[in-house]
Amino acid sequence: MVGRYQITLQARQARSASSAALAALLAIVLALALASVLFVSSGSGVLAGYRVVFSYAFFNPHGAVATLHRAVYLLLCTYAFLLPLRAGLWNIGLPGQVYAGALAAFGVPAVLGMSREAAPGWPPGAVIGLMILAAAAAGAAVGSVAGVLRARLQVNEILVTMMLNSILFWLVSFMIKEGGPLMGATAEGESFTLPLLLRAPLAGGIPVTAALAAAGAVLIDPLLARTALGYRIRAFGENPQAARYGGISPLALSLLVFAAGGATAGLAGYHTFAAIPGVYKIPGNYGFYGDLSFYGLITALIARGSALAAVPIAVLLSGLSLGARFAQGMLRLPFGVDYALLGLLMMTFVASHILDRFRVVWRRTPAGVLQPAPGDSRG
Amino acid sequence: MWELLARSLEASTVFLFAALGELVSQRAGTLNVGLEGLMLFGGTVAFIAARLTASYPAGLAAALAVGAVLGASHGFFSITLRGDQVVSGMGLWILSFGLTTYLGSPYTGPLGLPRMATLFGLSPFVYAGVALVVVSAVVLFRTGAGLAIRSVGENPLAAEASGIPVAATRYLCVIWGGLLAALAGAVYTLSYNPVWTYNFLMGWGFVSLALVFFSMWNPWILLAGASLFGLMWQLSLSPELVLPGVLSRYVWRTVPFAVTIPILVVISTPWFRSRWGLARPEALGRPYPAD
Repeated sequence: MVGRYQITLQARQARSASSAALAALLAIVLALALASVLFVSSGSGVLAGYRVVFSYAFFNPHGAVATLHRAVYLLLCTYAFLLPLRAGLWNIGLPGQVYAGALAAFGVPAVLGMSREAAPGWPPGAVIGLMILAAAAAGAAVGSVAGVLRARLQVNEILVTMMLNSILFWLVSFMIKEGGPLMGATAEGESFTLPLLLRAPLAGGIPVTAALAAAGAVLIDPLLARTALGYRIRAFGENPQAARYGGISPLALSLLVFAAGGATAGLAGYHTFAAIPGVYKIPGNYGFYGDLSFYGLITALIARGSALAAVPIAVLLSGLSLGARFAQGMLRLPFGVDYALLGLLMMTFVASHILDRFRVVWRRTPAGVLQPAPGDSRG
Repeated sequence: MWELLARSLEASTVFLFAALGELVSQRAGTLNVGLEGLMLFGGTVAFIAARLTASYPAGLAAALAVGAVLGASHGFFSITLRGDQVVSGMGLWILSFGLTTYLGSPYTGPLGLPRMATLFGLSPFVYAGVALVVVSAVVLFRTGAGLAIRSVGENPLAAEASGIPVAATRYLCVIWGGLLAALAGAVYTLSYNPVWTYNFLMGWGFVSLALVFFSMWNPWILLAGASLFGLMWQLSLSPELVLPGVLSRYVWRTVPFAVTIPILVVISTPWFRSRWGLARPEALGRPYPAD
């Protein structure tokens, strides 16, 4: 009770697209409001802090390009989480699938003896194509493990994907450090650098992988909404038992969404290590990119499973995470502002999820119902 | 060898505390997949508080307080609002992962306090962990309170009809789970490895969660599982003690995780489930009353 008003939470019967959009917007704005505490605590003003973040991420020529590269990465990670999510499954194996994609992509030139320079007899375009295919296939293979185990034996996919994340994390270390097969010539705990001819083609400074992210944004929603396969995925996500009676094979479906999700995460691994100008290697701090993939998870959740809606969110979160890291250096904030933002976004997403499921009802209590308080002359 | 065993037992204690709290929470029907997050938060807060006050009790108290708050917030979302428990658990995990990275980074490095006193060469937490297993087993299977917890997790409707307050019981258990998860984190950062680094757990919480499933929701089996995983974890960190020069140290680090998957597969087979799988709380993960 607040004065003469009674406040209750009522479950919504139907949720409109506008309320979903409002909840998404609210989640992001609230996270930014909470993150402003970080700027205040460091002694820099909130507005000054956000000016640094946004001006670097979206208006600085170097920052804007970096935002675009990161947005492609986040979008590919978003699809990797989104496709299984629509079938009711949680793919939190994004880091592991990203690492698998990266290892496979760098494995191709290593196996072909081209880790120092492109060898004659192999057209560079074909090798690049093979690298992209290998990355997608490796991500799909890692994802499929969780998909098969979930469908066949009901093994919890969250646990399986988390275990795979840890396994792949250490495998990358094995491959790129201390004499590993993909180690660079300088032995500084990172992989070899891709030879010039094997770097992903650029169009206006943007790698070819951006086209894959754009294709996903355009194709995934219609695929889910308008095709028989999309119907099966959604039906399985909403009611697996009923879907099974309807002739939908849980094994095939679970395998499909996890393989497709894993493939896009594998492509994200290719993109971030083999296609972004200035990188072209698996660096020693590769774990940071694995952590970053969880921004894809949040993007998919906030976008309510829509690939198209994920585009502006991914661009915004890419800019914010990059700008936050930049502001951290500029304003001498402690390490991890971008991580804190990730956490706050997750918290406000869960809060907005509640608001979307419920609505707050303010009801004025009729005056006669209220008992006059002692000394209350109005009663 | 004794050193290895003592370290293994202490590692087991970290798994044990986290998993034991989650076991009780799951017995009452609430699943918290964000166990790792609660451990991260508990461990980070304990480390900061102990370092600022130069006091271990202050660190432990801070961890317990934050564990209770996080447990209660998971309870609010999943019991009061009847939300999806996986969403809430994942939320807690990523929230904790993100915030502890920021909060803890100024304290990166060793704790700087004298090591905790040991009892017969072992950390006192090892004894506390075993005692807690005994207490949990007795309470769960030999007392009215335990019957109430188990019935709330099996059939909340029947439990309510027999006068058991379902929501209150679940709240108590989920808060207990939060307390023990945070304590597990504190044992890690104050005693097992008193050095703060970003994301220091790297999967301990998820292995603890898997241990609850392996245990058939039985504290005694959990004790055995946690001991085994403690030893395996320790060996994966120092494989040279047993197999010097065999495989890269990075490959050894994958072992605890690589072993977890086949065990998860075995306990999920129809053969296993039909024999021992009935212990799974029937109403686990389901809100009450159902929509």
